[in-house]
Amino acid sequence: MALKFSRSRRTRSLPLIGGAIAVSAALALTGCTPSSSGGAGDNGDSDTITVWHYFSDENQVKVMTDYKDLFEKNNDGVTVDNVFVPYDQLNSKLISAVGSKTGPDVVVFNGADASTLALGGALAPITDQWDGFDDKSEFPESVVHSLEGDVYAAQGYVNLLGLWYNKDILDEAGVQPPTTMDELNSALDAVTAAGKGGITLSGLPQSQGEWQAYPWLSSFGFNYDDPQAAPLEEAFAAIQDWTASGALTRESVTWDQTVPFQTWAAGNVAFAENGNWQIGTARSDAKFNYGVVPLPVGEDGQVYLGGEGQGIGAFSKNPELAWKYLEETYFSAEGQAIALKDVGSIPSRGDAASAPEVTDDPILKAFAQSLADNGANYPAPAVPAEAVADQQLAVGQVWSAVIGGQMTPKDAAAKLIADLEPLLAK
Amino acid sequence: MSIVIPRADATASAPSSPQPRRKKRFEPVAGPLRVVLLLIYAVPILFIVLTSLKQPGDVISSQSSFLFTPTLDAYTNVLSTSGLFVAMQQSLVIAAGTTALTLLVAIPAGYGLARVDSRITTIGLGLLIVLQMVPQTANVIPLYQIFGAWGLLDQNAGVIIADTALLIPFATLLLRPFFRAVPEALEEAASIDGASIPRTFWSIMLPIARNGVATTGTLVFLLSWGEFLYAVNFFLSPGNYPLSALLAQQVSAFGINWPGLMALGVITSIPILILFTFTYRLLREGLTLGAVK
Amino acid sequence: MSADLTAARPSRRLSASPGHTRRFPRRRSLSRRGKLLFALPAGVFLLIFSFFPLAQLGRMSVSDVSARTLNSPWEFVGADNFVGSATQGSLVPAFGNTVVFVLIVTVIGLIGGLAAAILLSTSTWLSAFVLGLMVFIWALPPVVNGSVWKFLLGDAGLINSIITGIGLSPTAVPFLYDERFALLSVAIVNSWAVVPFNALVFRAAILGIPGETFEAARIDGANRWQEIWHMIVPAVRPTTLVLAVLTIVYAFRSFDFIFVMTYGGPGVATNTLPFLSYLQAFVRFDFGMGAATAVISVLLVLVLAVIYARSVRSEEAHS
Repeated sequence: MALKFSRSRRTRSLPLIGGAIAVSAALALTGCTPSSSGGAGDNGDSDTITVWHYFSDENQVKVMTDYKDLFEKNNDGVTVDNVFVPYDQLNSKLISAVGSKTGPDVVVFNGADASTLALGGALAPITDQWDGFDDKSEFPESVVHSLEGDVYAAQGYVNLLGLWYNKDILDEAGVQPPTTMDELNSALDAVTAAGKGGITLSGLPQSQGEWQAYPWLSSFGFNYDDPQAAPLEEAFAAIQDWTASGALTRESVTWDQTVPFQTWAAGNVAFAENGNWQIGTARSDAKFNYGVVPLPVGEDGQVYLGGEGQGIGAFSKNPELAWKYLEETYFSAEGQAIALKDVGSIPSRGDAASAPEVTDDPILKAFAQSLADNGANYPAPAVPAEAVADQQLAVGQVWSAVIGGQMTPKDAAAKLIADLEPLLAK
Repeated sequence: MSIVIPRADATASAPSSPQPRRKKRFEPVAGPLRVVLLLIYAVPILFIVLTSLKQPGDVISSQSSFLFTPTLDAYTNVLSTSGLFVAMQQSLVIAAGTTALTLLVAIPAGYGLARVDSRITTIGLGLLIVLQMVPQTANVIPLYQIFGAWGLLDQNAGVIIADTALLIPFATLLLRPFFRAVPEALEEAASIDGASIPRTFWSIMLPIARNGVATTGTLVFLLSWGEFLYAVNFFLSPGNYPLSALLAQQVSAFGINWPGLMALGVITSIPILILFTFTYRLLREGLTLGAVK
Repeated sequence: MSADLTAARPSRRLSASPGHTRRFPRRRSLSRRGKLLFALPAGVFLLIFSFFPLAQLGRMSVSDVSARTLNSPWEFVGADNFVGSATQGSLVPAFGNTVVFVLIVTVIGLIGGLAAAILLSTSTWLSAFVLGLMVFIWALPPVVNGSVWKFLLGDAGLINSIITGIGLSPTAVPFLYDERFALLSVAIVNSWAVVPFNALVFRAAILGIPGETFEAARIDGANRWQEIWHMIVPAVRPTTLVLAVLTIVYAFRSFDFIFVMTYGGPGVATNTLPFLSYLQAFVRFDFGMGAATAVISVLLVLVLAVIYARSVRSEEAHS
């Protein structure tokens, strides 16, 4: 290809007349671009760090702003630029930025994508910084993202699923919040008999579906270390019992994790399988008494520990300052307390997680207990880094087909095992 | 879908009427059909507007009812978003720049391809269709490399060029039949009178094909106004995002602000409606101008 | 400036069409071929900003490109990506879904667009208003339109409330989550979104028909249906051809509505080629395979492009 550019040949003059005409016409017509602050490419300013994130929820944005204020207060003359990138675009934007050797100083991304981003060269290894970090022993292993012997990111907090319940509906039906699958099933029978919805969850054929499916699948004994069809078939049959009895609507195959919670918060459904990040929504939207119990998935059951990973961009001009930012905000006890206060995320540090703010709050306590009893690495360690996205998609699609009633439990289990085999063997 | 059923009252039109085609005819069929069309498009719009007037908590619970306490919160929130007006200005600059640049390049191209019959035309048309087919996502990474090398990242010019490249095939294909519809005799007459080709093009072709040009321009403007993928990928600073990217901000992995999304949708579309009102008049006038002999 | 180029080659068309005047053969052939220069800026612009990405796409489709290797030299793997995409079993059903989807969107989009254009080519306030609403819809991003229809078609949505309310069905119709309906529903919503575009263009073409054509017909006693069939339809034929191509191409590459409304589900029931390509390239980060699937779509459309270009030329040769 003739068009092969290197950074050294970066020039503002256009070699081709056509391009020049076009560009000058465009420039003449449009004037200049209003603001260039936060530009990751041009910003040579050594006292500015750029943080890319995908938060748009008011409370989550407040965490970012609080961190910015905290870091700027502790470090004179330093500016933090928080840059929003839409969730669906963050990964591809980071990876295409690698091609032109640009990118942010700090990346806050979906923890499950850590290996994709690390493989794509968007994250800088932070092994040295991490090993030299005094407080690293406070962090459980499940929140540190490593690939091929290098640490690339860690999480300042974890998100996980719990079972939200509508206390008014349960009281009316005369049932207690369930602690086992049997109790859950009889509670579902009781509330559907009373004309209420049973449970909402996401059946979207993608990673969100897999994230929501895994606790149920694992409660029947399924795991990725040794995937077997029998427990899958049992789990799928149980789910189809729910759709058959009307406890779970088949409509959930079109739902991401937001809609089912909003549906539950509207007040006509007894349970919702949803996360701790919904605490704010519950407070503002749910006009009934509610509570949370750990997902009743038993001893075998596994509840993924998700959340955002924080790492340093591969082309950060100021990795020292970026690390300092992470150390003083996301990875510090003070920073984690801010996130807990603003959005109710569970701190990843042992010392911060055992603070009274967590243990005294009935809702956070349920999540913390679930974390202790059933918490599992996300993505599952048995899945090779290259295959994570494929595995999530494959499970999500089958999960969706089961809820939608397209497949029998037997066929679905067989298909999923067949799909997973080559992926796990990679 | 039935269009119009032949009616016995076909002769009802008076031939003496100067423009009978525009007058009311066949209202028994066309009238109700128009109302059906109105409903098909008005109901979703009504839903958008109603949702934008709800509290976030009411969106799911009052999906098919009109019983809710309306609030302007979503609009106040959106309008107080810092950067809304910068974003609107950005959208305007990008859409206007793209429209101008696209028309500048595509009008001559459409004309050229309409007037020349050769193998090159056939190949050209085929290639335009192929380009039209290339998924936009496939362009992002190569264009990022070009713009990175030319210092066009984070610049309006970069996004305008990308949008223009995306829309030239579309605009050229669309414009061609409009130029084709202009009788060649008109041009020949002009050239016999000694007018140069560019002059003929400017003073004869363009005025007659103006319906097509105005429509294509409107469509290009609309498309570049809503374009989102390039804007999000080629702007590195959020301060430069246009409205379409702001809209994406209402949807996140952690929640969707339905009233905010719908309110921003409404606000985003208002400039489009103003533009439409303008071109709608243009098109009506085009009718009489089009009859130039 | 094109004299040397064109004077040496008399126009083929000229000699083939005896109906045209031969008074100024030299001058005419000069001006005819010279007009191709009008397309030069577009050609140059596209060469830089469109063919380079297209070439990259082609190269990617025969290389092993993942997140890991995107920014390093790509390893040539021949047809592996195509074979891989086909053997994963998702390609064939996706192809079938695409055909159904494209058919529905094209047929409803064109017929609906022409019908709307004819209905709205009057200058009443109602026409202007309806057209305004349609433009409004077309201007809204798919995430808004798609979400609205997701609500309207949901179990508790307006349409199901009406259906169960007037007793057409005892339970809610599973528009979006039953494999029999999901693809149909998304395709119809997508057609709904494309009709305004076709209507606008058709309307511009109809308004361009000289008024006296209609008057002459009317004096001959033609009714409205005959008017539509014998005058409007032939007059907008070139526009119809272009719109057909644009609509087919749009339907072939559209995945926004699928993304918003079903995400390809339930299961893989609404996976189409462009959505599959998106999943492969941007969810699974197998850029090579995603490019291969995209190239398959482009090749399918290439067939269409050849048919279009040929039919346009043969048709115009007779006009």
